[in-house]
Amino acid sequence: MHAVGRRRGAIILGLLPALLIYVIFAILPILQSFYYSVMEWDGFSDMTYVGLANFKEVFADPLFWNSVKNNIYVVLASVFGQVPIALFIALLLNRKLKGLKIFRTIGFLPVVLSTVVISLTWSLIYNSEDGLINELLRSVGLESWALNWLGDTNLAMIAVCITVIWQFVGLYLIIFLAALQNVPEEVLEAAKMDGASEWTTTWKIIVPMIWDTIIVAVILCIAGSLKTFDLIYVMTHGGPSHSTEVMALYMFNETFSQLQYGYGSAVSVLIFFFSLLLIYLVNKIFGKKMI
Amino acid sequence: MKKVSILLVGIIAILSLAACSGGEGETASGSDVIELTLWNDWTEDRPENTAYKNMVEKFNEQHDDIEVVIEAIPHDQYETKLRTQAAGNQLPDMFRVWPGARLAPLAEGGATLSLDPIKDNWEGVIPEGIMKDYQFDGVQYAIPGNISETSLIFYHKDMVKDAGFEEFPKTYEELKSLITALNEAGTTPISLGNKAIWPLQSVYISTIADRFTGSDFLPNALSGEGSFENEQFINSMKVIEELANMKAFNGDMNTIDEAQARSEFNAGNAAMHFAGSWAIGPVLDTVENPDKIGVAPFPSFAGGDGDPAKIAGVAGGGIALNSDLSEEEQEAAFEFLKFFYSDEMYQQLVEANIIVPADVEMGDDIPQVFQEANKLAQGGLAPVYDATLSPELTDIINNGLQAITLGEKTPEELAKEMQEQVEKEQ
Repeated sequence: MHAVGRRRGAIILGLLPALLIYVIFAILPILQSFYYSVMEWDGFSDMTYVGLANFKEVFADPLFWNSVKNNIYVVLASVFGQVPIALFIALLLNRKLKGLKIFRTIGFLPVVLSTVVISLTWSLIYNSEDGLINELLRSVGLESWALNWLGDTNLAMIAVCITVIWQFVGLYLIIFLAALQNVPEEVLEAAKMDGASEWTTTWKIIVPMIWDTIIVAVILCIAGSLKTFDLIYVMTHGGPSHSTEVMALYMFNETFSQLQYGYGSAVSVLIFFFSLLLIYLVNKIFGKKMI
Repeated sequence: MKKVSILLVGIIAILSLAACSGGEGETASGSDVIELTLWNDWTEDRPENTAYKNMVEKFNEQHDDIEVVIEAIPHDQYETKLRTQAAGNQLPDMFRVWPGARLAPLAEGGATLSLDPIKDNWEGVIPEGIMKDYQFDGVQYAIPGNISETSLIFYHKDMVKDAGFEEFPKTYEELKSLITALNEAGTTPISLGNKAIWPLQSVYISTIADRFTGSDFLPNALSGEGSFENEQFINSMKVIEELANMKAFNGDMNTIDEAQARSEFNAGNAAMHFAGSWAIGPVLDTVENPDKIGVAPFPSFAGGDGDPAKIAGVAGGGIALNSDLSEEEQEAAFEFLKFFYSDEMYQQLVEANIIVPADVEMGDDIPQVFQEANKLAQGGLAPVYDATLSPELTDIINNGLQAITLGEKTPEELAKEMQEQVEKEQ
């Protein structure tokens, strides 16, 4: 008993530094955001308490709802784009293939590339005058398919979403591959002996066995999509005409370009609750408490 | 075991303390040398920036007791970083600032130091009218280093000639026929990069609107005496609409930035590029034959109330001081400013094709384009919109003009939106 107590003490002491860092750099800023969100503050002069006025103003701003809508597109594109594609490729790669490592590295490459590099590269690819896509389309005679990908308000969001999917597929690919390699060999062999087709093995055995990993991937996807900022900031600045503005970008513009720190904080608080809500919903839908 | 944990806690405590006190330790490190950090946006390799950096280097060489340390941040991120640091009360000792509305919040918040004690140094050198751009409530906060004309038209002389124009159009009607002629010849008429949404406002509207409304319009509209729903102001935005509709710009104008648009022009892929005096150096340095580049003022518009000789412009290149400087540091910073904004620097700037507020002699080796641009400033300066409007209004007009080029907003709607914002601010 005494030994356990002492060990617990050591564990707590060992956790303390991490906890301290976490509180200072994660919990405190969140609480500060809550505090700023009820203030009117331009960043320089004194703050004035305005209650929930900032929130009222946020809710009344059509640009905020526009950014929410765009953010939902990113979430949907990530969950229904990244996860299935990554799962599909992972299932394909999960064989005794020659050169598997090379495929894995290629798939993972976009994840380690800097977002700014990805954004600039894709901006060039999408360029309406001399971008790769339009040049390709023109060279095969599909002149009329060459569009202004990032400059058209109807297309810009789709174009951005494709880049988002491309960027993170590799991450989930690696996660799924790791999970797939943990599926016990004996189970698969048993299925084979029972005469299960590859299709049945995949859907009835492999996928259920890595289901928990898939849910974690979905949650990571949602959390990541709600924070999307850098890629869109570099690619389009949220434009043209707000058509690719997501919540984080809206918050950034209000806070730093327009010097409304209180208002911006109110938006951050909303993003925080929005993320909580979505993750709660996912947990509810899958009927499990994952995070 | 326990010792290790205590050690860890100790390290973390020290680290977090160090993180909290950031910035204050900077000047304390040297024993008797006063170190002053200077933030600027001199990242691009152009002669103007080299001149600034030379001056700092020279100052450091001549002063053993003061060391000015340069920290350069790319232009597009600079102001964001400055504002963020200002909000966190972590401004450097000296920092590059822009005049007017962009200086106002810093001055109002007490973040910058008054330069009134050393203002006399520039009496008779820099005209009061230009000094004024860096004043707030009558207090001087920075010394102008240059004049930035925001609306110049650069053009390839031979391309304009090939389109059938012996000289550059003087009126908007003529400009339109030039654009049509260029389009028919398959040349992109105007290279525009409006991804960062400020060029249409700062470069185009600042001067075009002034031609239509006259220079009193902006202060009147802001003070409530006038209104943004002014017909002449709406007419000026209709020009943007019309230019976009007649395909005067490159198709990717909303997805490339200003520098990319400029290099398209430099490479000869477009006949014209509208930009400010900041582009003179980069254009002349990059094009194959600078003699084939012309510079023209914006055309005149029929029925406008403004003075067509004016061009939008504002003083720039000012450095503000942190109001938290100790007395010793203040003295050192004042000495630096006096050294920096001297005849020697203005001379260097002129050689680097920068328009300066002080009257300096010009040699024969100064290129034609620069001399012409310099002449344009003599007609008087019209206010630049983003140097005058509040950040919210700037944001509205920036985004609104982009929406107009996409056909998603009409000039009338944008004018109404701006008027609503002004009324909210009053």
